[in-house]
Amino acid sequence: MTALVLEIINLNLSFARHGEQTAVLHDVCLSIARGERVALVGESGSGKSVTARIVLGLLGELASARITGEIRFEGQDLGALSPAGRHALRGTKMSMIFQDPTSSLNPAYTIGAQFHEVLRRGAPKISAKAAKERAGAMLAGISMDQPDRVLGSYPFQLSGGMNQRVMIAMALANTPSLLIADEPGTALDVTVQAQTLKLMRELVEDNGTAVLFITHNIGVVREFADRVYVLYRGRIVEKGATHAVLTDARHPYTRALLAAVPRLTGGGIADIGEETDVFAAPMFDHGPGAEARP
Amino acid sequence: MSKTMSKTMSGPILKVDKVGKTFVQGVHQVEALADISFSVMAGECFAVVGESGSGKSTLANLILGIYPPTTGTISYAGEPLPAKRQLVHRRAIQLVQQNPLSALNPKRTIGASLRLALDVHGIGAPSERRDIVGGLLEEVGLPAEFASRAPAALSGGQRQRVSIARALACQSALLVLDEPTSALDVLVQARVLKLLEKLRRKHNLTYIFITHDLCVVRNIADRVAVFEKGRLIELAATETLFTRPQTPYTRALISAVPVVSEEEERLRQRLGEPQNAIG
Repeated sequence: MTALVLEIINLNLSFARHGEQTAVLHDVCLSIARGERVALVGESGSGKSVTARIVLGLLGELASARITGEIRFEGQDLGALSPAGRHALRGTKMSMIFQDPTSSLNPAYTIGAQFHEVLRRGAPKISAKAAKERAGAMLAGISMDQPDRVLGSYPFQLSGGMNQRVMIAMALANTPSLLIADEPGTALDVTVQAQTLKLMRELVEDNGTAVLFITHNIGVVREFADRVYVLYRGRIVEKGATHAVLTDARHPYTRALLAAVPRLTGGGIADIGEETDVFAAPMFDHGPGAEARP
Repeated sequence: MSKTMSKTMSGPILKVDKVGKTFVQGVHQVEALADISFSVMAGECFAVVGESGSGKSTLANLILGIYPPTTGTISYAGEPLPAKRQLVHRRAIQLVQQNPLSALNPKRTIGASLRLALDVHGIGAPSERRDIVGGLLEEVGLPAEFASRAPAALSGGQRQRVSIARALACQSALLVLDEPTSALDVLVQARVLKLLEKLRRKHNLTYIFITHDLCVVRNIADRVAVFEKGRLIELAATETLFTRPQTPYTRALISAVPVVSEEEERLRQRLGEPQNAIG
């Protein structure tokens, strides 16, 4: 068995619209080793969220989507799995955290009931009482005060930051080997976001969970990821160890992206020209350290 | 000129004096802002920062006259603003919102949205207004032909440029910018911020720049007011605030910002070290 948790090989996606195919992803290749934290960074419309959805198998049902390429999860070709087989993976071996915690939790059920549902996916026979104990222990483990009160609450009774911590605890409840986090801190205040990232980093380190971290925020990439893939208009334009990409960006798009981020130390707003053909330059690979090391 | 409020004066263009706002919902009272006082000088970019629930948006609404303050007064160009604003007051202070798609009427063309502001305030002769609209679009870096387009046909950055053009249409000296770039991609954000800077210099505009993004504030504001839970806890020149913040809360805010360079990391570390302020 290979130590690669996720391997995306030549992934292409297009949508049929008005009888025409609109290409969204072009030969995307990406791999994540066990326990590795990998960021996929790009602006809106670059294709980062659809990539996550394809990995989870949430896009295949769309009649208009045409997907080609191969996705291997723990060495297994996901394309060969039945819908039921893919369903069985979600919430157990691969899980997801979305951007807005409050809208990804069901407002009609208590946190405890939703936790129970998640734990049942890993252990179908788990009793409500056992689930409550397990959930309580997990929430206490992420230093949440009064876990029992949180479990008895509805999502709207908790703050956004608390909901996001609940989401993280739930996503890791069945010790998945892959966690996909889609902009997990964007809807939160900066101090809460910092705490959330710290918590996530601790939990995935403890569990040896690999993370595909999707974001538009390069600062967050620097805080969280070992390696980074830069996505521009459906193409990977640069990849490498986070430090290498951020301190020695080579692709014109990555360079523009880094230049455009306002600095905490000042220096003014950068003069960013209009999008040019130079962004279509071929991918730059920072080489050793850029590939997942099995 | 009788229709516009005087812009030529010395002293602050906007004065917020002991302003408080309490919302009452049944038996519950929420004190959104308490005892806020500050002055904004003509031509400056005055940033208001804070996390959600700090009272930033309440402050913007009070300044714009969406609702009156519970206590205190807000003065524009030396004159106290009444609880119920007249047309002339509404023209004097303009707003640019976070989400341009919801700020623009989707059923109106860009040209019609801009023209409406001219019609309401009687700016220019009716026969000239078409040209004024074209001029406004060019001012924000859009071709005049965009006047015939619907908001849905524009990108996020282009829509935000239209929102700015609409604020400019009223020829007011004071703009309230409420998270004007936080819905935009980083390249687009840089271009829109650059445009805002250019317009401020050209027309000697005053900005009240409301945001949670400290990196943007660092690079665009002259002074910064930090709000926490409805209170103004720190007010300083930008350079001072970022190098020698006085309150633990401001230190915590700055040191929590995700940064991209080593130099910023060092600043963050330095501010984060002395006390661990996040409770």
